[in-house]
Amino acid sequence: MDWPQKRRTSFARREQNLALIGAVVTGAVLATGLLLLVLSRINPAYTTRLRGTAVDLVAPFWASIRKPFDALSGGLDRVGDYIGIVPRLRQLTADNIALRRAVQDRDAVAAENRALRRLVAVAAPRLDLVTIARFAGSSSGSYVRSAMIAAGTRNGVFSGQAVRADAGLVGRTTEAGDHAARILLLTDPTSRVPVIVVRTGQAALAVGAAGPLLAIRDRAGAEVPLKRGDRLVTSGAGGLFAPQIPVAEVVDVSDTPRARPFADPGALDFVAVYRVYLPVPEAPVALTAVPVPREARKK
Amino acid sequence: MIRPATSSFHLRTTDERLAMWRAASQRVVPAAVTIALIVATTVPVFVSVPIVPDLGLLAVIVWTSFQPRLMPPWLAFVVGATADVVTGTPLGVDATLLPAVVIFVRLVSARFTVRRYAFDWLFASAVIVGAAIVEWRLLAFTGVVGPLGPLLVRAVTTILAYPAVVALAARVERRLAAA
Repeated sequence: MDWPQKRRTSFARREQNLALIGAVVTGAVLATGLLLLVLSRINPAYTTRLRGTAVDLVAPFWASIRKPFDALSGGLDRVGDYIGIVPRLRQLTADNIALRRAVQDRDAVAAENRALRRLVAVAAPRLDLVTIARFAGSSSGSYVRSAMIAAGTRNGVFSGQAVRADAGLVGRTTEAGDHAARILLLTDPTSRVPVIVVRTGQAALAVGAAGPLLAIRDRAGAEVPLKRGDRLVTSGAGGLFAPQIPVAEVVDVSDTPRARPFADPGALDFVAVYRVYLPVPEAPVALTAVPVPREARKK
Repeated sequence: MIRPATSSFHLRTTDERLAMWRAASQRVVPAAVTIALIVATTVPVFVSVPIVPDLGLLAVIVWTSFQPRLMPPWLAFVVGATADVVTGTPLGVDATLLPAVVIFVRLVSARFTVRRYAFDWLFASAVIVGAAIVEWRLLAFTGVVGPLGPLLVRAVTTILAYPAVVALAARVERRLAAA
């Protein structure tokens, strides 16, 4: 015996059903997107592993594409080196003499500084270089300003390490895959770096503003005016960045002062990654070890 | 005997099976091209203003307006989530924005029968600027608060890149039709 025949559905009915299913799927997709948004808001770190993998996949692509261009520009540079060599050599010799003198002064000051530090027993954590890596990608995604470097957890690079170039601070690592990592640049709107104004010793925050310049916020002693050309260096507060890394130079001294970072990612090929200067202690500090006023103690 | 319109897989000949796989693989092409364009926007160029056009958004707009069946909202979601992960934006921003763009473009293009290049470009421009503003709010929702200006700069470069992406999509479509 045959199965009872199903009610014949017309094409119109089929179309209707398809449209309904389409609408339900569309709604579900939008709802999923919004759910991801809410998750990103609540806990931005929940996709760390996924992002690490994505960085791993994209960075080698650019690293290999860059190779021939680097070779080409390296060759051109070598030719360019021979042009105007004599005046440049004289200039460099003169510079070298001046710098030798400066280095001698510096050595003397450093020795004196070491002696004084030993006298007052200052504990200075070591500054450990993790690796030196090449830039291998950027984010053009909206104003999240990040860069990728071709070094990852296999090279000892983990999330939350300081990245600097010889000119100054570049940023911090935010995601790490096996062979590549992502750097949050200073100009990203979520980047905040505790700095000191070298001339006045004021503490401040250098905040990314999604543009070429950094905003200087929360300056201690704001009644002392800044000057154009004031240098900002890291203060070491927070423990991520070591103190005295050059960060930026003040270029705008209005009510909302601004500074230009020393390290321009566009002009960089290689950056150095440093271990966290003062790591957060693994175990939370026992509250009993901290002196607490008697009034605040629990009875 | 009534033969069903589509026979089951094990009843087909080898040629029919190959044809089926070929047809299925063609449906992947638009998404693959779009994701390749997104990876291309991570080119290591560092300018303080985002001048690299949002090729992923453009590709989604172009596919949706020319071949809506090849870019359904769920595929736009997959593309958007990939874009978020690759470019480092908070996950969910593009994953919400791109399906919304697809839905909007589908709704609007169902009402217009004009198919002139200039009109398409103008319409895409309006969608791109609107998407920039929505993205600005979505980013602010996830905690990345910043000015709208850089996003508008990128919207302008995206609008200027429209003809190139249309040309690419047209080439890919012609290859697909010929295959």
